[in-house]
Amino acid sequence: MVNDMKILRLSLFNLKKNKREAAAIVFLTAVTTLMLSIFVLNTSKSEKAFRESFETSGSVNRIILFENGKYHDEFMDILKDEYGIDEVSENRYIASASTDVIEPDGNSLSYNLLFVTEKTERRIEKFVKTEQLSEEEIAGLEHPVWLPENFSIVKGYRPGDVITILQGGKKYPFTVAGFYCTGLASSDQLFFKCVIEDTDFDRLSMLFHTSFADTWTGLSFDGGEDFVYREYMDKCREVSGENLRSDFNDFSYGSEQRIETQFLNIFLYLIAFLSLVTMASALFMIRHKISNDIENQMQQIGVLEALGYRSKEISASYLYEYVISGGIGAILGGLLAVIFTPLMDQGIRVLLGREVSADTQPIRIVLVVLLVMALVVAFALQKARTVKKYPPVTALRKGIRTHHFGKNLFPLASSHGDINTRLAVKGLFHDFRSAIGIGICVLLSGTVLLFSMVTFIFFKDGTSGLESMQSADVNTVWVSVLPNIDPFEVKEEIEAMPEVRKALVTYNYKYLTIKGSENSGMSIVYDDFADAENIRPYLGRLPEHDNEIMIALRRAKQENLTVGDSIFLVKNGMEKDYVITGIVGSMMNGGTIMYLTTDGYKRIDPVTKADVITAYLSDGVSDEEFEEALTSRFGGTAKDLSNAAEHGGSLQEKLRAVAEEKIAVLMSQYGVTSADYAVKIGDEMITGNSGDFVIKEIRSWRGNIESQMAPIAKMTKTFTFLAALLITIIVAVILTIIASSNVRRQRQNLGIMKSMGYTSKDLMKQTALKFMPVITVSMAIASVICIYLNKFFWSSLFGTVAVTDPVTIILTDLAMILFCYLVTYIGAGKIRKISVTELMTE
Amino acid sequence: MASSILRTEKLSKSFSNVGVQQHVIKNLDLEITEGDFTVIMGSSGSGKSTLLYALSGMDKPTMGRVFYGDEQIQDYSNDELAVFRRKNCGFVFQSIYLMENQTVFDNVLTGALIVQKNTPQLIQKAENLLKQVGLNEADFHKYPNQLSGGEAQRVGIVRAIINDPKILFADEPTGQLNSASSRDVLDIFTKIHQNGQNIIMVTHDLKTALRGTRVLYLRDGGIEGEYRMCAYGEDDLKERRSGLQKFLDEMGW
Repeated sequence: MVNDMKILRLSLFNLKKNKREAAAIVFLTAVTTLMLSIFVLNTSKSEKAFRESFETSGSVNRIILFENGKYHDEFMDILKDEYGIDEVSENRYIASASTDVIEPDGNSLSYNLLFVTEKTERRIEKFVKTEQLSEEEIAGLEHPVWLPENFSIVKGYRPGDVITILQGGKKYPFTVAGFYCTGLASSDQLFFKCVIEDTDFDRLSMLFHTSFADTWTGLSFDGGEDFVYREYMDKCREVSGENLRSDFNDFSYGSEQRIETQFLNIFLYLIAFLSLVTMASALFMIRHKISNDIENQMQQIGVLEALGYRSKEISASYLYEYVISGGIGAILGGLLAVIFTPLMDQGIRVLLGREVSADTQPIRIVLVVLLVMALVVAFALQKARTVKKYPPVTALRKGIRTHHFGKNLFPLASSHGDINTRLAVKGLFHDFRSAIGIGICVLLSGTVLLFSMVTFIFFKDGTSGLESMQSADVNTVWVSVLPNIDPFEVKEEIEAMPEVRKALVTYNYKYLTIKGSENSGMSIVYDDFADAENIRPYLGRLPEHDNEIMIALRRAKQENLTVGDSIFLVKNGMEKDYVITGIVGSMMNGGTIMYLTTDGYKRIDPVTKADVITAYLSDGVSDEEFEEALTSRFGGTAKDLSNAAEHGGSLQEKLRAVAEEKIAVLMSQYGVTSADYAVKIGDEMITGNSGDFVIKEIRSWRGNIESQMAPIAKMTKTFTFLAALLITIIVAVILTIIASSNVRRQRQNLGIMKSMGYTSKDLMKQTALKFMPVITVSMAIASVICIYLNKFFWSSLFGTVAVTDPVTIILTDLAMILFCYLVTYIGAGKIRKISVTELMTE
Repeated sequence: MASSILRTEKLSKSFSNVGVQQHVIKNLDLEITEGDFTVIMGSSGSGKSTLLYALSGMDKPTMGRVFYGDEQIQDYSNDELAVFRRKNCGFVFQSIYLMENQTVFDNVLTGALIVQKNTPQLIQKAENLLKQVGLNEADFHKYPNQLSGGEAQRVGIVRAIINDPKILFADEPTGQLNSASSRDVLDIFTKIHQNGQNIIMVTHDLKTALRGTRVLYLRDGGIEGEYRMCAYGEDDLKERRSGLQKFLDEMGW
């Protein structure tokens, strides 16, 4: 007991003597515990939040949509008969992808919206309202809409705000009556389910019937574990003989949870990796310091041993030191984790757009604290036990380790160049263990830093980086024309507009199926892909002939396809073979997109005509400015319709709108160029001419990407910046401590060299240069790891090919190496305080 | 008349210890001329080592001036003094202070390469000097802990003179050696002095002091007396010893 107290006093003395090192270990263990706690506390929290929102809302766990006119009653029978699902409800939905909206603050964005009536909503879930206007206020609203609580949590919408939907140049303002808790369709990356009144539903269903917006029939139910979606769809196809689309129309608990939580999980795994870096750094520092201390205090160890202290007791003095500093750090980290929990809950709430119940889970934090302490103790003990290698005589002779009998690596006589560099290289090999430790720390830190920097740079301009990964010209405005309109003529006119620098004719995204594949996919069609600006193959080349196709990387991987393979496309009962000429990394359409030339597309779909003009806007022209110019130029009937709709138009006016579009379709089918029409309603006759009706739909894809990804981009940017900052601090702490402890250990040699005429700057340079080779090599390896990590990250998450910018990598490497040099140089500043005369007179 | 290579004017050095000023060197005027083998003696605490460090630019004087030819060094910064030392001074220490993690040859070259380029001539010179002090080639690649004290000090001397310093400063160079090793080391000092090396050595040992040509006796921070001798070996050793002994007795040694 007496001895224990003496040993403890010795530990406290060492702690007091080496305050900086102790503070560094407290800092590193605290950061480790904090981050590990965040990881452990929150990995299950997102799942819990997701589960709770389903419980609260009473949502079904699956909705399957069928295209308008392709639903058959047998589909419900299959569910009941073959899957034993008795409670199935059939409802109508309006699904509108990339719907242009004007937000309450006036910003224009695009959302994927799923419209349902309150009756439908109550069949799907309990319609639990979380926030709303008063009943009187709601009763006074002309077009009320109930939005998922995501709009309140993430986007800051308030009840009473007005959200305006733009469709075909028309504006449809809705007032937010309130928010409700929903299970399905509550995500930027999928759809937002909006509950509207029956009359509004009918109004929108008349206007939304394009490739991207249409009325669907949906079956909602709680699918059991034995329900297999693709198998079910195959059965539906078989029964109906319909070419049913097998994507874009399945809302399920599993897929929503996976998509909604994927970014959160990435952040959490990055935090876990960061904690690994800080833990490794802390353990390395502990080992390094114990090693240094034993070497420095060798004679004291000899004296203690001579006095009768057992090596176990002396080892314990080093151990206690780290139990104290590591323990303080771990407890501090645990307390910080408790303090940070509400902040993290808020972060998860914003990231998921769902309420998160407060739950600190102290047991998990205690377990993390104990784990960190156990690691500290294990590593410290393992190193401290080396004391037993030194019996008193050896210790009093300063230990055999200070003696060198080994091979003289890099003899000065046979090396050339600056003497400081040469001595630094020699020093590296004399302190190889430290170098290896620093190498591992820099390798881990460098990997995180590089990945953070690459990701930060990618997101620095918001979503523009993501746009480049679509492998589609999403920076354009898509102008769909009616079937009777010659798109090439409209293209000429659009191209002549000052707001436009270029225009191309293409098809609206059409769904195609590859024979034998479970995934149908959209097609991108151009006469000449060389005219497109953002479509570059990752492998092979762009399609040029009518029998060629380019596919997305994710599809290629999933279906084991590569350049040179032949595939059969299926559409409307036709089958045509195509040769894969290229593979492209694309986030579009879940990585199932296909690229064909116009002639190639016509082989499989000879009936459909090109119907879209993609307008590339001039610099400085916004989508809204262009759309305004476009509707004022081509508006005609569309403009009138817009005004009618905006001003709450009469039923007659609405009918006129629908009639004109229907007439336009019929005109194209019968090959006439102009038609007059008359519709009699009661005593009133509505007449008109459809010849002026040109534009069917205007869509901005950029707005859709922004609405889906901007919050993620912002959060990723912040996270990666903080990660880079943390790593920089950790590297600075480690290198400063290593440099200063090296100076302390090498004090005599440094003094001798000063007497020979080496300046303090020379010696600081030597100390800094000593670790540069290992830091450089570590950063080079980290760069390679980062490139693969980045590739893996984008490939597994989005099915795209991430080309890591070599300039970012090289500049980050150089900055890190320079930073390490400067930190070590400054950390070695204690050399200035070494007095030659004091050393001589010691 | 031999030219002056080192001169001090009213050189003073004080230390502050817990607020108490201790004046170790007081207004000391001294001139070292070309060819001198100056030995500084004195009782413990007389300021021998302090004077050596102040003269060599290892330490800055509190007051006064130190001239190397026309160059004044008392106001130099620490780094300027380091550059000055590498060009002008060599040092041999009582504790030898070889770098434990470097071989004999690298210890020598570490001193040399801060001033000179790595040339075959330099390597040859280092080898020759090591051989001249009695080390053989097998010793060149040994580490300091594999050498005897005498051998290590001989390496220390070679390291000190490899750059042909204007003055070789030696602080009790035989203080840790046995008599046989001491004799060997002193013979080397005598030999290099004969070859034209200026030496300033601090010692409290009579046998060591006999190697000098000029003995300065310090007391209370000032030069109490000076005794001149001809070069070692040019006179009778007994007479040399008795003459120096007499001087030291007069000084109260």
